[in-house]
Amino acid sequence: MDNELGSIETEMKRGFLQLLVLVLLEKDAYGYAMVRAFRELGYEVEENTLYPLLRRLEKRGLIHGKWELSEERPRKVYAITRPGREMRAGLLAIWKKQDEIITHIIKENEHA
Amino acid sequence: MHKNLEKYLEEIGHYLSDPGEREEILNEIRSHILEKAEQEGAPLDEAVLEKVIAAYGAPRRVAEKYLDGKPVIAPAYQRFLFRYTWLLFSFHFVLIVLGALFNKSFTIFPFLFVPGRDIADIFLYTPTAFLTDFGIVALVLYYITWTGKETRLPWPKFAIDLNEAKPVARVATMIGAGIMLALTVFAVRIFLEFQTLFVVSLNFEKFRPLFRPAPGRLISLAVLAMMAAGTIGLFIKAFSASRRLACWVDAVSDGFALVMIAIVLRQQHAPLFAVNIPARLLAWSHLTLTITLFVVALFVAIDLVVNLVRLGRRRQAG
Repeated sequence: MDNELGSIETEMKRGFLQLLVLVLLEKDAYGYAMVRAFRELGYEVEENTLYPLLRRLEKRGLIHGKWELSEERPRKVYAITRPGREMRAGLLAIWKKQDEIITHIIKENEHA
Repeated sequence: MHKNLEKYLEEIGHYLSDPGEREEILNEIRSHILEKAEQEGAPLDEAVLEKVIAAYGAPRRVAEKYLDGKPVIAPAYQRFLFRYTWLLFSFHFVLIVLGALFNKSFTIFPFLFVPGRDIADIFLYTPTAFLTDFGIVALVLYYITWTGKETRLPWPKFAIDLNEAKPVARVATMIGAGIMLALTVFAVRIFLEFQTLFVVSLNFEKFRPLFRPAPGRLISLAVLAMMAAGTIGLFIKAFSASRRLACWVDAVSDGFALVMIAIVLRQQHAPLFAVNIPARLLAWSHLTLTITLFVVALFVAIDLVVNLVRLGRRRQAG
């Protein structure tokens, strides 16, 4: 059961993480800072999953990455772009709609 | 410079295909690992670095997350890989046996070249033939996938679905296996006594073989081998409810029988009979034996094709 839950959770996370990154990048952030921010919120993300995802979002023009060389160690800092904001708005609308549907069905089941 | 980290990054880089992206990806991973290691064990400690590297994941798996490659064969076509391979191979195998039987090489597309060699060579050539057929089918399916077109792949529907196969009647199979075992033991006993299975009379004191010693021994051994294979096959079927295994047993048994029939048919050219038979009858007996064996071989070959096609339905439950 735990294994099945884990595999379904992985599938759910795939889409959710994209939305999460777009929401978090309201403020510019670099990869490791994002991992820590998610962890503080109780959301564990595999580090080796986050970076390929950031790369894909960057390729699609939804976020923009820039190497910062002023710090002791070079870091790639990401920022959301205008198409990224539009995508985020669309994804949030879908997510809210899904949440409403689930909540509605659960309530109906409770009254049944 | 952290040797272990650089070695780890080099391994990841080995799997990444785009040289332009490679450096940037590796820089990002390097930056992340060093930062995390520092956070967890300031000042930077090699042991902590090792731990962080291990937690990041195996190089191949890390690299794969960056790769968006298309499958070599589209998932919808994957089940056809073994279906078509078995179908092709079953025809190929029949051709191999024919090549060995007539001792002639020939070329038929897509089998290209079927060598006409000795019976023993069949065993050496068969795995190569299977791999060739597998390669041809894989190449065709790869091409179909690569074109990206919606292609409906055909599949014969002549009632050879594994699910349609009748379940093995276990009691009948047990009885059959017992009878076959008894017959095989009896045949082995005869062979050990006379060095042949074909005797004119079973009078142990006045023994008269039907065939000459050399071909008689070879034909007898071929028949014994078929009987033993049949007995083993029946016992396997009797003790297993798996239809898939039953199909395997039948297919192997058919292939084996074809090889044995080929061995027997090759003996036709040599003087065969040890008893005096009139010349007119001798010619008839040779012809009748050859036709009978060919008819048997034809039925066995059809059964082999059907069994191999059934096995090609890899995903059906056993």
